[in-house]
Amino acid sequence: MKRLFAIIRAQLRAAFALALQYRLDFVVDGLLAILWIGVTLVPVLVVFGTRPEVSGWTFPEMLLVLGWFIALKGFLEGAISPSLTNVIEHIRKGTLDFVLLKPADAQLLVSLGKIEPARVIDLFGAIAVFVYAFRRIGHHPSMLQVLVALSLLLAALLVLYSIAILVVSIAFFAVRVDNLLYLFQSIFDIARWPTSIFRGGLAIVFTYVLPLALMTTYPALALLGRLSLQTALGAVASTLIFAAFSRTVWRLSIAKYTSASS
Amino acid sequence: MKAYPQLLRTGFAAMVAYRAEMLIWMFATNMPLVMLALWSAVARGGPVGPYTQTGFAAYYLGSLLVRLMTGSWVVWELTMEIRQGTLALRLLRPIHPLLAYSAENLAAVPLRGIIAIPVVSILLYGMRAELGHDTLSWILLAPAMFGAWLLTFLVMSLIGTLGLWFESAGSLFDAWLGISAILSGYLIPLDLFPSAVRDIALVLPFRFLLSFPVELVLGKAIGLHAVKLLAVQWTYVGAALIATHFVWRSGLKRYAAYGG
Amino acid sequence: MRGMIRVNRLQKWYRVHQRQPGLGAALRSLFHRKYDEVKAVDEVSFSIEAGERVGFLGPNGAGKTTTLKVLSGLLHPTGGEVSVAGFKPQDRVRGFLQQITLVMGQKQQLLWDLPPAETFLLNRAIYDIPKAQYAETLSELTALLDLGPLLNKPTRQLSLGERMKCELAVALLHRPKVLFLDEPTIGLDVSMQVTVRDFVRAYNQRFGATVLLTSHYMEDVAALCPRVMVIDKGHLIYDGGLPELVQRVRPDKRLILRLSKPVDRKDLEALGGTLVDHRDAEAVVQVSQALLQAAVSRALASLPLRDLSVEDPPLEEVMRDLFAQGRAA
Repeated sequence: MKRLFAIIRAQLRAAFALALQYRLDFVVDGLLAILWIGVTLVPVLVVFGTRPEVSGWTFPEMLLVLGWFIALKGFLEGAISPSLTNVIEHIRKGTLDFVLLKPADAQLLVSLGKIEPARVIDLFGAIAVFVYAFRRIGHHPSMLQVLVALSLLLAALLVLYSIAILVVSIAFFAVRVDNLLYLFQSIFDIARWPTSIFRGGLAIVFTYVLPLALMTTYPALALLGRLSLQTALGAVASTLIFAAFSRTVWRLSIAKYTSASS
Repeated sequence: MKAYPQLLRTGFAAMVAYRAEMLIWMFATNMPLVMLALWSAVARGGPVGPYTQTGFAAYYLGSLLVRLMTGSWVVWELTMEIRQGTLALRLLRPIHPLLAYSAENLAAVPLRGIIAIPVVSILLYGMRAELGHDTLSWILLAPAMFGAWLLTFLVMSLIGTLGLWFESAGSLFDAWLGISAILSGYLIPLDLFPSAVRDIALVLPFRFLLSFPVELVLGKAIGLHAVKLLAVQWTYVGAALIATHFVWRSGLKRYAAYGG
Repeated sequence: MRGMIRVNRLQKWYRVHQRQPGLGAALRSLFHRKYDEVKAVDEVSFSIEAGERVGFLGPNGAGKTTTLKVLSGLLHPTGGEVSVAGFKPQDRVRGFLQQITLVMGQKQQLLWDLPPAETFLLNRAIYDIPKAQYAETLSELTALLDLGPLLNKPTRQLSLGERMKCELAVALLHRPKVLFLDEPTIGLDVSMQVTVRDFVRAYNQRFGATVLLTSHYMEDVAALCPRVMVIDKGHLIYDGGLPELVQRVRPDKRLILRLSKPVDRKDLEALGGTLVDHRDAEAVVQVSQALLQAAVSRALASLPLRDLSVEDPPLEEVMRDLFAQGRAA
């Protein structure tokens, strides 16, 4: 266990050292993050300039969904995507072999390859949105509600991470997966809205097939005290199952890679 | 320039080879449909400004079509070739690299069109009440789409060429994408913005990347007014062309001086 | 357990999917794929003791890299048994991975934008190297490879040779018992090649590590490996000492004659061998071992010589002959 932490610490240290090498990029990425938070907020501002409520969500409540979206986007684009794009590069260059030669779990080694620390701005942006939204709502969430919401956030991160691992597992065999990652990010974009704005069939798809509801709608509902404990537990449980599935696919891919490649 | 038809043919063959990637890209361009879902939910109780639910559907389907037909990727290719040093190889050939890129990108349009145009047209036909009835607007649609494609391509080339000066040209393009998402009408129809913002957005070049062709489809730009707008679009295209030309020329001088 | 590395009837085959151009063929391949079977390694057996330095020679595509990858656990064998340091490589058990290292000449594990020192620290955590041992190993490697100023410069700023030195260091931080070196000197200038060879020899002697090296440069193998294995088309066609190999394949010697005056062709041919090179100031004659003595005496007696030396034919030629023979057989 101690060894595991030592490895994670060393990986993070290397990833941060790498990111801070390019200080100008760091500043530019920070400014871009702020711009995109603004771009994300504009549609909501325009929509609620015309109506006080949409599909049962008021303006501040919708902001909660958006806040979770911004936070998740920060993790996705700041850590998950860069690390996994890095792995795909390794596969292309043939240097993945070095990862496989190390006496440590390959999935662990590749997961923290590259990080963009500037994206921490997204987390600050999300917190600012939450603070503003709850001011508008008039009361603040209870400790329990916050805890449930945070656990759902962790579950959402785990889902995103597991999907990314699945995409990379495909990359072992069909190297041109850049567009798949792009598709993945564009579908994730749908999570900026609560699933109730989608009619019937689509709402079901976005809750059970593509777990977008879990990522932003549920945490927002949790903060508002409108999420049943059942639903929350169900969401977390299915996340764990999905993560286990993704890990299995990864291990099978590695096994096939080592038996089939040259 | 004589080689251009052949370049187009080669570009088309390359697109066919990359058809899987192209399809994935097309599916990934789903933002207009998501925005449509949002606005449909909003408009359930009644129209928003001049848009009913069907009105929004027509707008966003038109938007989707324009986006699919005018998208390019030259900025990514250019920044990568500059970074990896392979631009030097292109410079050895007797054809201007930007011209070569334009052929590659233009060749993708028919293939995307084969898939997108029939589907969108059928859907739009079902909403033909929302569409424009002015014949002139429909005639102007082709040059407006081509203008939008060309303007997109030139801006991408311009920003990509800036990669000859600094590495973060990609980030600059990201910023352009963000601003353009709002001011081009991609996220929200321009006439739904508060009047101060709308008036500015209507004169900026972003409008002519997307909103203008959609306005022609929806009959929001008609007659002489439409012709004037087309002229403004092509003025922007001309300006972009001149800017790209000069930036490219001085960029190359710098590239040669520093060995690339 | 006899032998650090034991390979018994190793086979590695690939199925390579045949790709035809054209839209029709692409569609057909969705339903019915045609495969070619490529035998990269075909019934190879050998055994290497701890502390040996062995060279692996062979033309491109002969199966050298494939064999190394099987030995390091990166590839599963299609058939046969492999054992390295008592482990089955394909299981990729931690204990196994801690004892081996693979250095690939064309690829690097050093993080590109960071100084080598950062990759060292990362590897130290991954291999769980105790502090004291790490410090000791690092200082020895730094001394042996003269790494001092290189460790804190970003890898991308180092020259190819400097990078290779750091690459070797990072690969050996965990003091592996078995070294697999795949073309480690490729692209390096001559002095750096010598540095690498000297280092590998020193490491082997200091730590008793087993070394298995593949190379295109005959000098690497000649300088470093008392034992040589030759692979061609997946078959092991020779396993033994290098001098014996030369003897077997090309038992001729080369007579290098430095002339003080130009000499007629006839006179050179009269020595009893084949004329390889004829210039005003120098001539090279290839003579069989049996006729060597006579040829030398005749040359000393009849030719205006400034200098005379006897050499083995260049290894490259020997290898070329060997593979040509293999192909004919």
